[in-house]
Amino acid sequence: MRALALILVFTAHSALLRAQAQLDRNVPPTPGPRSTIHIPTWTRVRLANGAELVVTEKHDLPLVAFSINFVGGAYNFEPADKVGLAAITAQMLSEGTATRTADQLSEAQQMLGTQIAAGVSGEGGSIGFTSLADKFEPALALVADMLLNSMFPGAGLERIRGRTLVQLQLAKDQPNAIASNVFAKVVYGDQHPYGRVLTEASVNAIGRDDIVAFKLAYFQPGRAVITVTGDVTPAAARAAVEKAFAGWPAGGSRPAWDYPPAPALRPTTIYLVDKPNAAQSVFAIGLPGPARNTPDYYAIQVMNNLLGGLFQSRLNHNIREVKGYSYGVGSSFAFGRGPGPFRAGGGIVTAKTDSALIEFMKEFRGVEGEVPFTDDEIAQGKESLIQSLPRRFSSVNGIGGSVALLFTQDLPQTFYQDLPARINAVTRDDLVRVARKYVDLGHLDIVIVGDRSVVEGPLKATGIAPIVPLDRDGKPPTNP
Amino acid sequence: MRIRTLLLAACVALAAAPAPGQSQGTGARDAINIRFERYTLPNGLNVILSVDRTIPQAAVDVWYHVGSKNEVPGRTGFAHMFEHVMFTGSGHVPYGMHDRLTEGVGGNNNGSTSNDRTNYFENVPSNYVESALWLESDRMGFLLDQLDQAKFVAQRDIVQNERRQGIDNQPYGRAFEILTAATLPDANPYSWPVVGYMADLQQATVEDVKQFFRLYYAPSNATLAIVGDIDPGKVKDWVTRYFGDLPRGAPITRPTIPPVTLSAEQRLVFEDQVQVPRLYLAWPAPGEDNDDTHALDFLAEILSGPRTARITKALVYDQQSAASVSAFNDTNEQLGAFVIIITPRPGHTLTELEASTDSIVARLKRDGPTADEMRRTGAGLEFDFVSALESNLGKAEILTSGLVFHGDAAYYHTQYAKLKAVTAADVQRVANRYLGAARAVLSIVPQGKPDQASKPESSRKVTVSPDGGHYIMEAK
Repeated sequence: MRALALILVFTAHSALLRAQAQLDRNVPPTPGPRSTIHIPTWTRVRLANGAELVVTEKHDLPLVAFSINFVGGAYNFEPADKVGLAAITAQMLSEGTATRTADQLSEAQQMLGTQIAAGVSGEGGSIGFTSLADKFEPALALVADMLLNSMFPGAGLERIRGRTLVQLQLAKDQPNAIASNVFAKVVYGDQHPYGRVLTEASVNAIGRDDIVAFKLAYFQPGRAVITVTGDVTPAAARAAVEKAFAGWPAGGSRPAWDYPPAPALRPTTIYLVDKPNAAQSVFAIGLPGPARNTPDYYAIQVMNNLLGGLFQSRLNHNIREVKGYSYGVGSSFAFGRGPGPFRAGGGIVTAKTDSALIEFMKEFRGVEGEVPFTDDEIAQGKESLIQSLPRRFSSVNGIGGSVALLFTQDLPQTFYQDLPARINAVTRDDLVRVARKYVDLGHLDIVIVGDRSVVEGPLKATGIAPIVPLDRDGKPPTNP
Repeated sequence: MRIRTLLLAACVALAAAPAPGQSQGTGARDAINIRFERYTLPNGLNVILSVDRTIPQAAVDVWYHVGSKNEVPGRTGFAHMFEHVMFTGSGHVPYGMHDRLTEGVGGNNNGSTSNDRTNYFENVPSNYVESALWLESDRMGFLLDQLDQAKFVAQRDIVQNERRQGIDNQPYGRAFEILTAATLPDANPYSWPVVGYMADLQQATVEDVKQFFRLYYAPSNATLAIVGDIDPGKVKDWVTRYFGDLPRGAPITRPTIPPVTLSAEQRLVFEDQVQVPRLYLAWPAPGEDNDDTHALDFLAEILSGPRTARITKALVYDQQSAASVSAFNDTNEQLGAFVIIITPRPGHTLTELEASTDSIVARLKRDGPTADEMRRTGAGLEFDFVSALESNLGKAEILTSGLVFHGDAAYYHTQYAKLKAVTAADVQRVANRYLGAARAVLSIVPQGKPDQASKPESSRKVTVSPDGGHYIMEAK
């Protein structure tokens, strides 16, 4: 049967050849023309109490995302010795109102199929929910009740305090949490809000009076941007919001951003936090960076994308893909209202702690000119920022958050429309310039949380920087 | 309430986008609808297409019906390690090209491995859908043409780092591995972790990769979903062009899952680098193929989550003996687990918390949930199902999981109906059936403090074997 088999094979092969005649798998398909990026449009109106209302329509699904965004946060409104007050006050909004117990508030949300989330972080706060369109108004009534009529029972505070103290203790064992805390303290010190971290003492210093005072001072319409996004019209949204918040009197204003300057830069130093038997060393390398309003914003975004933003960024490509030292490393700029940090890092297998640090430093030097950016790198760094824009606008929450950002960060209304041209205007020289300026090799704080008995010797041998041992709170250890 | 399939979708959903054609005021229930078409190529590849023009992007999502349960003891973690190798280039695609044509043009890509299946996806601008199909077809057909020892070893190191980051270097990181090992016999394919044991990862070879690829990575074991801003006619042509000539694979022998034979309570204590002890209770539960999973989803939500849930209310709010509690029903294709986790407040022992929890579960088993509890728990279903439709990739996952696990891409309709139909009696019945005496009770305690375990005198010590290959449970 050998001949027959051959004929069959031949027939099948020639049919396949016809079907595949034009397919050469070695040639990537030519992409079609780019689609136009559509940025949603929104309406904005100032309500009588001073809050700004921004409505974006999206009617393909019966969903609505609602959020009241407050400009300013813990750094503006929290006393330095009561770190945690802002976040705990936000949690206390779920502890009951004049007419609803905490359980009733919870049950009402469950029946509406929604969850109201409230939170206050360093520079902003919010309270909001996402719901089915027909549940929007009743859910809105719950938000208003929480914001205007919360009773802040002392028993609720004690319970939240107890849970917060346990969370603090849990964080002391979590290597990434340790690294973040120590990094903040090392980079910003005690005198800058960016260096403030939650402590047992600060949590214990918070009283019910502080909660009531913070709530009154902070949750004010004069600094609020209300976003309503989804299956609702601007008129209906406005009517619903005005009705629900009729009892919210005018008051408050946008806070000043008068931060103290970041501490003076110090020569590059390794701060080593001992975590005996750790399987990995967690790195946090950085220094104070520029504020969001820096004219270098776009150049920094492209540069950071290439240094440690993309999967195929130089840091991740080298340290993960080529060397195999990590599951993933990267870098970012915080871009706050003040000097938020540049930070690079990731988890490194303990045995390669020294080698990985050498590679981090090498990649920093690389983006500063030792290894010039190729045209293709730059094209990717830009395209990834521009063409990913539509994904911001696919969900009601994505749209709401993206629109709110323009208002809370004082960005131009045409920010998203302008972004492609701004990104494309960045030059190769800009990239090198901002790398040299903001990834300052002479003044890096290198925090490493790992097994000191294994990594200290090899780290010292790299000669990269002197080593200062710290404990998990960022203080000199009791047995240095 | 939260639903498994949707959770799965949520955990990988990076993009998004809704379906056209619904006007304002449409009822939520009618909105739970995905328009799609499905067909099969002659080589067995399942194809699902769904149009959504919300944003000019699309998701390409490929499922292979293979996961960690297709591995053998001693080679655990291989399916996931293989997933990594799939990103190292293939016959006509050099390393790096995959990222160049996804994240480099404004998209992204990733993969994930579970006990049951492995997926690979790209979210790309619409004009790069053909590129994504070229990339996926090349690794489906020609992965081995480019495979070499160096690339493989690099990925093996990376996976070991992934294990370190997710498990070995995390406080409480080993809890689920220990619970699974304690409730299932070693021969059960669900008894080992998806990421694998460290010693087994080191054993894997290039030859293993080749065998695994030939067995499982054929179009006849795959489903390709393309969801988003696409022209279906064009996409069908591309699918034929790039996938049509890939050869069908040999029939696959699926692992049989022996019935779970756990007959008594397994009490264990593991000393970890932690300051706060934590209690884990775990019961074997049914898989996707058993409708009891829906009532167990309700049970989890009635026990923990919202402030009024039974264990949450009792332990966190009323007694204030716990800082947090969590109950969930984790369902895989053929087997699941029902788990309760409790973190104490200072001054409260795990023994005390176990007793409180047991009495709450016993009361629920005796009396069943109230009508109010049932109403509250089911009230969020419409929202969960509708909001899952906001993402291209999320929809691809919903359709594909339905097709692979239930033979019906539109299974989410059935799932919704079944969840709507769950009664208080169902919840009471499954609580009695599954939350019995045969379970694992694991205390994770600070090093040197085994006395902080729940009922320490009757708990066996668990340790990690010196080679990191498995857990050793001390005989009692």
